[in-house]
Formats: sequence, C-alpha cells, structure tokens
Amino acid sequence: MENPYKTLGVKENASEEEIKKAYRDMVKKYHPDQYRNNPLSKLAEERLAEINEAYDYITKNRFSGRSWNTGGQTNSRNWNTSGDFGGDPEFSNISSNINSGNLDYAETLLNRISNRNAKWYYLMGVLNLKRGRYDVAYSHIENAVNMDPGNDEYRNTLNRMNMSNSTYRNNAYNSGYGGDANLCNTCSCLCCADSCCECMGGDCIPCC
Amino acid sequence: MFGYINPLKAEMKMREYEIFKAYYCAVCKSIKKKCGQLPRLALSYDAAFLAVLLSSLSDVPLQAKRMNCAVHPLKKGSVITTDDTIIEYAAEMNIILAYYNLKDSFKDDKSLSAAFGSALLKRCAGRVKKKYPQKCAIIEALLSQQEKLETAKCGSMDEAAEPFAGIMQEVLCYEGEPVNKKSGEILRWLGYNLGKWIYILDALDDIEKDLKKKTYNPLIYQFEITEDNPDDDLETLLGRVEFNLTHTLSQISSSMELLDMKKNKSIAENIINMGMLAKTEQIINKRGAAKKIGKSV
Repeated sequence: MENPYKTLGVKENASEEEIKKAYRDMVKKYHPDQYRNNPLSKLAEERLAEINEAYDYITKNRFSGRSWNTGGQTNSRNWNTSGDFGGDPEFSNISSNINSGNLDYAETLLNRISNRNAKWYYLMGVLNLKRGRYDVAYSHIENAVNMDPGNDEYRNTLNRMNMSNSTYRNNAYNSGYGGDANLCNTCSCLCCADSCCECMGGDCIPCC
Repeated sequence: MFGYINPLKAEMKMREYEIFKAYYCAVCKSIKKKCGQLPRLALSYDAAFLAVLLSSLSDVPLQAKRMNCAVHPLKKGSVITTDDTIIEYAAEMNIILAYYNLKDSFKDDKSLSAAFGSALLKRCAGRVKKKYPQKCAIIEALLSQQEKLETAKCGSMDEAAEPFAGIMQEVLCYEGEPVNKKSGEILRWLGYNLGKWIYILDALDDIEKDLKKKTYNPLIYQFEITEDNPDDDLETLLGRVEFNLTHTLSQISSSMELLDMKKNKSIAENIINMGMLAKTEQIINKRGAAKKIGKSV
C-alpha cells in the first residue's frame, strides 16, 4: 500500500476535518457513476478502493473508535447493466456480452432481433455509450425511457449521462470559469492588442 | 492540428502560463531541429498540450532554459529542457498530422497554400513515418476510412467522428517511459474522446462554409440543413451537439483524473476543464447568435 496520506492528497499532519474533506472530495471524483459504461470503470474502481483503503488505514490509526466508513459499500456493487431482463435469455446474453466488452458480437445479436422494445433500445444505447457514440446512445436510451417510463434502470442511465455533463460544468464554474464577462472581454482585448504588438516586435504585457 | 485546444489564460496562474509557453517553445525548437525553419509554422497549441499531458506522467523535475528565438528575435523565452523524448514525440505527431491535414485539404480544394505546405512537410513527414511505421499505417488506414464515410455522406456525427477519434487515440498512445499499461489505457480513451470533440466541434464551426462550398459535413446530413434555410431546426442541432460535446469533455476530464500526474496537473486541468469548455461555448454561441441553449446548469 502506498502512503495513505499521499493517496488522499493531504499532509501527514492534516486535521481530521481536512482528511474527511479530502476523502469526500475523492469519493465524489472517482465515484463509479462518473465512469459507468465507460472502458475505464475498472481503473476508477481500483482507484476508489485505494482511496477507501487509505482512508480506513488513517481512521483506524488516528481517530480510532469512530466509524466513518461511508464509501466502502460502493465497491461491491455491480456497475454494469443489471442483466435482469425479466428472464429473457437472449437479452441477458447480450447484456453480459456488452458488460464484458464484446461490443461487436453484442451488436450483431441486437441487429438480429426484429422486435425492438424498450429493452432493445436500452441495450443498444448502453452499447453505443461504451463505444463513445454519445449522441446515438442518448437517443436510444431516451427512446427506452419513453417506451417504458416506469423502468428505473433506463431512467437512471439517462440521468447519469446528464449528471456527467453537469458535474463537468460545475467543476469549471467552481474553479472560476465564467467569471465577470466584461472583465474577461477587457482582458482578452488587451491580450489581443498585445499579441498584435508582439508580431511587430514589441511587447506591452511581457507575460503573454 | 486544428488549434481548438487552448488554455483559458484568464484563469491561469502566470507561472502555469510560463510553463505552458515553455513547452510550446520546446516543441517548436524540436520541429526546427528535425525539419528546419519553415515547418515551424505548422505548430499548434495542440502539440504543446500533448507534450504537457505526456510529460505530466514522468517524475523528472521540470527544468527550463532561457533561449533566443528566431520567430521572436527581440525576446528571450523559457524553453523546457527535460522530458526531451516526449517533446520530440509531440513535435513529430504535430508534423505528421499537419502533413496529412494539408494533403487532405489540397485534395478537397486544390488550394495553392495546401500544396505548398504539404510539399514542404513531405520529407520530414517521411522520416516520421519511418520512425513509427505501425502508428502511421494505422493513421493512414483511419484516414481512408474517414474518406469512405465522407463519400458515403454519413449522416451521424458519432460515426463520422470515429476515424479521427481513432487517430487521436493513436497519437496519445505514446509507447515507452513514462507511459505504462494502465496510463496507456487511460490515454487511449482520453485520446478517443479528444478526437471526437475536435472533429464534431470542427464540423459545427464549418457548417456555413461547407454549405457554401457544397463540401461534406456530417451535421448537414444528420440535421438535413439546406442552404435556403440553414437555421431551420437550429435549436435541436445545437442542443444535441452541445450535449455530445459536453459529454466527450466530461469523459476527457474524468480520464485525466485517473492519470497519476507527477506535474503539470493544474495546467492540464485548466485546458481540459476550462479552455476546452470555453472554446465549445464560443463556437456554439457563434452559431446560435448568443442564444443560450440546453444549458444544464
């Protein structure tokens, strides 16, 4: 095991609060939902396991007696398509092929099916999601949700796609993106003017 | 390459910007060493980003030297002197992609500048091909696949973007230290999504030009855009494209989080989480005439 403090990105003399905060941030960052249906999900799981291990180690050795093991259970869950398709063996078979990465084979099987119900659209959607074809994937999964509005799995997958986008955007906004627009314009005008000067050999703002 | 990958300067620390520029200069100097003065014009920030990203994985501490520059003779600038094999690789990839790109645009519109450019890069690109025969064979196969999709007037932005996504996947797949099996896998997925983002953003940026010149653009076919009525269903188009682009960015960002970065992390974060988002929004807003559409915040 690597230095658990390094894994959590905190100093060894960090306070309990700091460690908890770092841990919570890390769990959020590497949460399986962020990597679901994406070829890196295994690596993210490993990383989260390392983080949990590090946090467990620190808590046991520092503030023993308190249990703070909120993220532990996320590891054991199955983060692929559930494979529960009402006992339909064909769909279950396709689902397990998608989960194990045999995408071409799963696609051939799906294309052979003429009865295109909600399950079909869902699986086609997940398959395309794994391929990185997000526009196609979203349409298929949306279709599945519309055909079977009561199905939580379909709805959750669609929600998660939307969630990834807003997480990404929120990340940017939290780091200062989209600040005062007028100020930005002023700066970029200055930078542009400066670039023009640089072309001619002068430089008003030496840093850019 | 295409010049869509930029840092968001306003949110960058000066030190970070200095480092980014020092990478840029290092790649530029490497191109000069390999190919001479003129091919330096082909350099883009994309290659500097590639160098920043790949060398972030190596734990060699960063070092820079103040050096003279032929392009800006009046000032000295910092140039990164460590991780030189990575910087050389970024320069080589820049040359080979610029060469293929110029060759392709010469085929499309027979422009003189493209002919001149590709002739200029030919010898140097040949050397790169010799050094990475497998990689270049894969890239060439993907380029001919792209040509096929274009002739077939593919009407899906996802499918049309796939060959270029594959090319970027190959480009990011640096073999050898400091990239190991695990980071190689992450870089491949990051590269795939990066290529996809560039291709679709470029398609969005070029709709008007392609309508006028009657050249292929997947978005024109997917959303059945006509020259008489180019903004017929603009909202659907922008909504779908924006979702797709933001999702590729979210994948790039979450892939980066998995990389074990020893340095340059804040620079890569600035470019991926802010610079690329800013570029996406800039092009979407240009097309949507300041209409904010489908924002999920």
